[in-house]
Amino acid sequence: MLDSDGGVVRGTLDVLILKALSWGPRHGYAVAEWIRAVTEGHVLLEEGPLYTALHRLERKEWLDASWGASENNRKAKFYSLTPRGRRQLRAEAEAWNNYARAVGKALAATAPTLA
Amino acid sequence: MSFRLPHLRSRVARELDDELAFHVTMRAQQLVAAGVSPADARAEALRQFGNLEAVRAACLVNDQQRVRTMRFRAWISEFRQDVAFAIRTLGRNPGFAAVVILSLTLGIGANAAIFTVVDALMLRRLPVQRPAELVVIGDPSRVNSFASTTNPRTDLYSYQAYLAVRDNAKTMTSVLATGRSGRLDVRIDTTAGAATDHPRGRFVSGNYFSTLGVGAQRGRMFAATEDAALGAAPVAVISDRYWTEKFGRDPAVVNRTVSVNGTGITIVGIAPPGFTGEIVGQPIAMWLPITMQPIITGRGGALAEMQQQWLILMGRLAPGRSVESVSAELKPLLQRTYLTRGLDGVTVTQAQADALEMRVFDGSLGLSYTRSLLRTPLFTLIVGVGLLLLIICANVANLLLARSVARGREMSVRLAMGAGRGRVTRQMITESIVLMTAGVAGGLAAAWVSSKLLISLAASGGIPVEIDTRFSGPVLAFTLAVAALSVLLFGLAPALRATRVDLSSALRSGARALSGGMGRGARPTGGALLVAAQVALSLVLLVGASVLVRHLHAISTADAGLDRDHLVIAEVDAVRGGYTGARLDALIDRLSAQVAAVPGVVGVTYSENGIFSGTESANTLSVPGFVPATTNDSVAFYDQVGPGYATIIGATIVAGRDIAPNDLQGTQPVALINETMAKFFFRDRGTEPLGGTLLIDGTPPTTVVGIIADTKDHDLTSAPVRRFYAALRQRTTGEAESLRLEIRSSVDPAALVDPIRKAITAAYPTLAVSEVRPLAVMMQESVRSQWLLSRLATGFGVMALALCALGLYGILSYAIARRTGELGVRMALGASRGGVVRLVLGDAARVVTIGAVVGIPLAVFAQRTLRGTLEGAAPADRLSLVAGVAVMAAAALAAAMIPALRASRVDPAVALRQD
Repeated sequence: MLDSDGGVVRGTLDVLILKALSWGPRHGYAVAEWIRAVTEGHVLLEEGPLYTALHRLERKEWLDASWGASENNRKAKFYSLTPRGRRQLRAEAEAWNNYARAVGKALAATAPTLA
Repeated sequence: MSFRLPHLRSRVARELDDELAFHVTMRAQQLVAAGVSPADARAEALRQFGNLEAVRAACLVNDQQRVRTMRFRAWISEFRQDVAFAIRTLGRNPGFAAVVILSLTLGIGANAAIFTVVDALMLRRLPVQRPAELVVIGDPSRVNSFASTTNPRTDLYSYQAYLAVRDNAKTMTSVLATGRSGRLDVRIDTTAGAATDHPRGRFVSGNYFSTLGVGAQRGRMFAATEDAALGAAPVAVISDRYWTEKFGRDPAVVNRTVSVNGTGITIVGIAPPGFTGEIVGQPIAMWLPITMQPIITGRGGALAEMQQQWLILMGRLAPGRSVESVSAELKPLLQRTYLTRGLDGVTVTQAQADALEMRVFDGSLGLSYTRSLLRTPLFTLIVGVGLLLLIICANVANLLLARSVARGREMSVRLAMGAGRGRVTRQMITESIVLMTAGVAGGLAAAWVSSKLLISLAASGGIPVEIDTRFSGPVLAFTLAVAALSVLLFGLAPALRATRVDLSSALRSGARALSGGMGRGARPTGGALLVAAQVALSLVLLVGASVLVRHLHAISTADAGLDRDHLVIAEVDAVRGGYTGARLDALIDRLSAQVAAVPGVVGVTYSENGIFSGTESANTLSVPGFVPATTNDSVAFYDQVGPGYATIIGATIVAGRDIAPNDLQGTQPVALINETMAKFFFRDRGTEPLGGTLLIDGTPPTTVVGIIADTKDHDLTSAPVRRFYAALRQRTTGEAESLRLEIRSSVDPAALVDPIRKAITAAYPTLAVSEVRPLAVMMQESVRSQWLLSRLATGFGVMALALCALGLYGILSYAIARRTGELGVRMALGASRGGVVRLVLGDAARVVTIGAVVGIPLAVFAQRTLRGTLEGAAPADRLSLVAGVAVMAAAALAAAMIPALRASRVDPAVALRQD
């Protein structure tokens, strides 16, 4: 879970971004704050990769972007989920839950009973 | 497409920088709020962000790609809109669209069809390994010949000469030989009485397939040792097509034995699809080892004798060698061979050896007699269809131009409302592309049908030509290039013209200038110049067509020196059927009597080769006292004929007598000679031909008993050749190999075809009668390629003329519609109807004159060039030129008359009220 540019972390970041936007449009900073808060700083060690991911997802047309005013009335780029992004979130969330359940089960196992 | 505009890059970068700056500022504010000193907050925010530059670069690349994709999609969607718009617009004017698409279909189809044939015949490489390394040694036009002469030759080679080349040549890594098979009688079902078919065959050396680098798709090809000994390998390789047609692609055909001319031959392999041998235009179905030749043809000596020259050689160049180096090596090699070995006892002189001229050519395209035969007609056609396409483009450009002028108001409204000039131009070009796409699609379909037709019709003189006319890469590329060029020619000009509409003047539609216009001194419009160009090009086509039609007429009605309208030729398979010697004599006598009894028949004779039959014999001979200057001087063509031959075919006996019934074996050999031969061997040196002696090689002396006028008995275009007619029953030049009856009728020969066939079958029920046809039909077929050429050229000419007339009609109608007001004023001021008609016709005359001034010199040049390519061409053909101009003028007058009359009926009151 700790390799910085590998599949697991990137996949994690993507799904977290989608989740962060599931309640409505947010700018990058707000997404970063949310991810930090919910993962207690475990996922986003540096904030830069968040932007690489946001722009990548925008190109994939999972996200839409538009400029608007922030809480403190500054010009900010707001991201929102596209219908495709929403479908992707559903699919990935399910995959993650299954995966986490399976790994959790495996780690909780006691002595192996190999026949 | 302008994706890399600087402002685009900077906008994407600017937005990215704004976004990142916002983040860093927000983070710093948050840090300050948490107690970090404002001085350290920004540095800490940047540290938490990570590698800002790397992130920025990655995002930038990503965003640029995203924008590019979006732009492309937008472009595609605009293009779709344009296409939909163009189709809607064209749909509102279906007549216009139909004329444009149909004429483009015709123009592009004609070009593609002819290029398909050109590509298949002249440009396509043999489907073998590294075809560029192949050389041809020999004369490709003799690929179906078999010569038996005492002269050393370089157009065809004997098997012994081939072996000398194969075993000694260092400039080639491998040399193969191929020779004609004659007709093959193949019985796939070897039980007696089963059906026979006649696949096209070829005798080839054992290394044929390995030299070409062609492997079997099933079974095996010949081994290099397959031709080691006479008759040692009764095997054959068949083509993919023969396998499909006769064996239904049955894999069990390998190792199956079939009967070829009565010999059991085992099929050992099937050639790959697409490989049909080395001869273009003559696909081979069955390859046999060369050492089977004497057994299959029953003709001895073709392997052992140096006199039997019947092979064409092909070699694969050794690395770094060229056609020239092969020629340089082979000449001394062959000279040595001929000088030391002679030709089966006949010594070859040093002079003969010195005179040898090597014929070595690039072999990458294979060999073909068709290629040289069709080169000139195809070139003529290519020029013709090229001109036609230009005319069509001019016509389409004119139509589009007129349309764009008519749509000038629409365009100016759209420009005024802010549509980009580029976008409007693009819509115009899209319309052209839509028209063109329909035209190209139609053209390819038309070409697909017509190229097959073209090639089947072009095959004249009884030799079938088969060419693979499937579309190849080059054909598609050519068609698309032609299409693209046409779009540019006819599409761009009107589009540019349309967008250059002067906004203010076009919007003030009511204000039409009353001065200038159609009157004298006005500059011709773009449309008028296009029509003038059409007139010029059409003149070239018309005159060319006229030359070809008159040439065809001249050669087909020229005096052939025989009675073409009262002869029927019947070919019977007597020799193949086993009739030779005394049996043949008996058969001939009985058949002649049977056929002579058919009502309407007034005379029957016979010959070996016949008239316009496609088969021909030649031999070398000497005449006492005649000294040949070149080896060619001792060659004469001949036929073996029956009694009364000259009289029955309607030839003129100039001196002496005809062949008589008592010129039989055992009597003094006699012959008739034609005047060309009499002049060449006798009269030119002051000797009397009648009673002269011919020493035909390998025969006893023959006496000339008659001289007949030259006849055109094999083709209508060539100059007469030296020819003698020996008595068939004397067998001076050996046993006849085929038999034809020449039957003279007093009624329409076509009516006698069936009765004659019945009479022959009644006498000999098992005898195969290959053909019974009136001579006139056979002669007509011998000029089929000229016939086709003249018909096509006439078609092109008529079409060009029609398009021209249409163009002229179009510009005049348009001008008159625009000038209705002016005409009204003129008539109100007292101009007569005749005056108005003259005015309009004067306009037309001006356009036609401009076209004719340019077109006549072009037509004269084309006429001269064309006549140079025709055999037996008619003398200077001024009539064609005059006729072309006259037809053009008449068409122009007809086209101009309708709008002129319409103009003269303008009612001044109505015309003046209109504005």
